[in-house]
Amino acid sequence: MQISNDAEACEFLQELVAIPSLSGNEAAAAECFVREMTMYGSEANIDAAGNAVARFGTGQRQLVLLGHIDTVPGEVPVRREGSRLYGRGAVDAKGPLAAMAMAAARCGAREGWQVVVAGATEEEAATSRGARYLATQLAPEYCIIGEPSGWNRITLGYKGRLLLHYRLEQPSGHSAGQQTNAVEEAVRFWNHLQSWCEGYNAGTEGRFAAIDPALQRINSDSDGLCDSVTIQISLRLPPEAPLEALRSQIDSWRGDACIDESGKEEAVVEEKRSPLTAAFLGAIRSEGARPAFVFKTGTSDMNVVAPVWRCPIVAYGPGDSALDHTPDEHIDLDEYLASIRVLQAVIERLTTAI
Amino acid sequence: MANANCPECEGVIELADGSFVAGEIIDCPDCGVELEITSVQPLTLELAPEEEEDWGE
Repeated sequence: MQISNDAEACEFLQELVAIPSLSGNEAAAAECFVREMTMYGSEANIDAAGNAVARFGTGQRQLVLLGHIDTVPGEVPVRREGSRLYGRGAVDAKGPLAAMAMAAARCGAREGWQVVVAGATEEEAATSRGARYLATQLAPEYCIIGEPSGWNRITLGYKGRLLLHYRLEQPSGHSAGQQTNAVEEAVRFWNHLQSWCEGYNAGTEGRFAAIDPALQRINSDSDGLCDSVTIQISLRLPPEAPLEALRSQIDSWRGDACIDESGKEEAVVEEKRSPLTAAFLGAIRSEGARPAFVFKTGTSDMNVVAPVWRCPIVAYGPGDSALDHTPDEHIDLDEYLASIRVLQAVIERLTTAI
Repeated sequence: MANANCPECEGVIELADGSFVAGEIIDCPDCGVELEITSVQPLTLELAPEEEEDWGE
């Protein structure tokens, strides 16, 4: 068994980042992860959902470190500039995944415990295929989701999400006529929705508590006899969002349109008083930093597994999430190494406590 | 028994030995502010970490 030093930890991350792994095409990166983690002494394999899974120890109690190995599209040339490593996925989320893997490798097997590090597939797709499968396979006592929080911050919550698919077809009419055309009807629906959300949000404080609608796609067509329009809307939802009231309003605005829902995820908010958060606070302070808690306005695999596992769970990882999905995506390797030390201390504390 | 002062109201907070760990968050019984135990020996308290909002994932 080999214990990773800092140079090896950086090389491991760079190797992982250099392998393209779009959602649904993660096999090559997963094979790299399994090969490296086997070298570091774990039992590693690719599971039925394509997840790369490494297990240290065979104890009855499970600590799960769940990252994702897929990335969004967009090639960012892999290179180092000073302490920065550029590349697609460096922040979201191969940096956090590699940090968890290296920390677990440094800890090795812990008596009575099984420490599982998983690189899940399709987190960047609405399917979350890998996490949904793992949710049925594991039963952790604690879980850490690998997402960029910044090395001195702990993510306690993610908003929920709902996708709306609006489709309207109606007979074509002359543009000089009185009839409202299909595109105008769709825009009217969007305006109603946006206005309702603004009204709801006026009584809330902060973006985490708000309902945020985003118009993601709009397409229109006509064959001369029938006009059609489709729109896709994403709603970012706070905890306890008044969905039934909103659905009732949507029904009153939709007219002859059909509206389907997909991609629903409940918001998740974690208790900040737990042995897990205490371990992180202590570990971050031992590195000389002042910790902070953060609530994210997006979603992650935490939304998928938290309702199933119902254990203390937070998200953590190096990197600035403002760089997620951007052409400038890069991670500071000094921050990456600091996060490994934090995670190592957290793993040791959690698996030492009675 | 260990004791320390609340950094917000300076009220005295007493905790039974062995009943607390570093990183634990408690409430000040006097002013109600959330405090983090940053050291066990000696007992040291700081205001609990701030809660921030961020875009992400």
